[in-house]
Amino acid sequence: MSCNQGSAPELLPTQAANGPLKFQMRLASDPRLLPVVRSTVSELATALGLEDSQCRNITLAIDEALSNLIRHAYKNECNHEIELTCQVQADCLEFTFIDRGEPADPARICAEPLDEVALGGRGTHLIRQIMDEVHYERLADHNRLRLKKYMPGARREA
Amino acid sequence: MNGPEAIARTMKTSTRQHSGNTIVDVTGDIDMGTSPGLRKTLLESLKATPRLVVNFRKVRYIDSSGIASLVEVLMKARNSKKQLVLFGLNKTVQEVLQLTRLTTIFEIRETEEEALKV
Repeated sequence: MSCNQGSAPELLPTQAANGPLKFQMRLASDPRLLPVVRSTVSELATALGLEDSQCRNITLAIDEALSNLIRHAYKNECNHEIELTCQVQADCLEFTFIDRGEPADPARICAEPLDEVALGGRGTHLIRQIMDEVHYERLADHNRLRLKKYMPGARREA
Repeated sequence: MNGPEAIARTMKTSTRQHSGNTIVDVTGDIDMGTSPGLRKTLLESLKATPRLVVNFRKVRYIDSSGIASLVEVLMKARNSKKQLVLFGLNKTVQEVLQLTRLTTIFEIRETEEEALKV
């Protein structure tokens, strides 16, 4: 197992002054990069004016999703690539994770009810509690997970 | 220290004794990269004490893997008729316990003094 192939976050230019704000990072599936991603997401949520508790929760959800990818899709191997894109729309924040690891187990994505003494399964539960929409797709050779959080007061899609 | 090793050390623990109890002081972030180390320290410390007290005052963050480690230590403590007490939890840690509906299964106190009286 190699853990020395992490890459720095890569900033992308905004599409237009008033259009969606987007950034993308490609990172190694290495848990040592989790604090870096947490800092970035926390700063972003704070810059968007979200309340402290929402910033903390969104950061937790993204951290849990990334940890799940490293643990399940890449079986704790540190030298694979994960692409994380965040798009800031007028009414929501949307995070997209792409990995080329093992397909996710749909039963696990569907968050089982919490058993207080169970040792696993809380990460998915936390993600579903915090985010408004969770979509997982297995595409040709990769997994795509999209997490959406609406801004306070924004209208949800039907 | 710079480089990958510096990033890896985002959590530290130190252990001390107080009136027959073991207190573990934890500093930093508890996530999937650091929780195995915390789990090992807590399980080792539990073996030699009737009451394990964990100081969270300098813990900035905990994720579900850290929570799972605490649940595992709690179960071991219960099975061996010992106590696990947590104190000094900040808002971030408290919120994660609330979201995972675990606030009631742990003994949680504000201060070390209170934790040692449980």
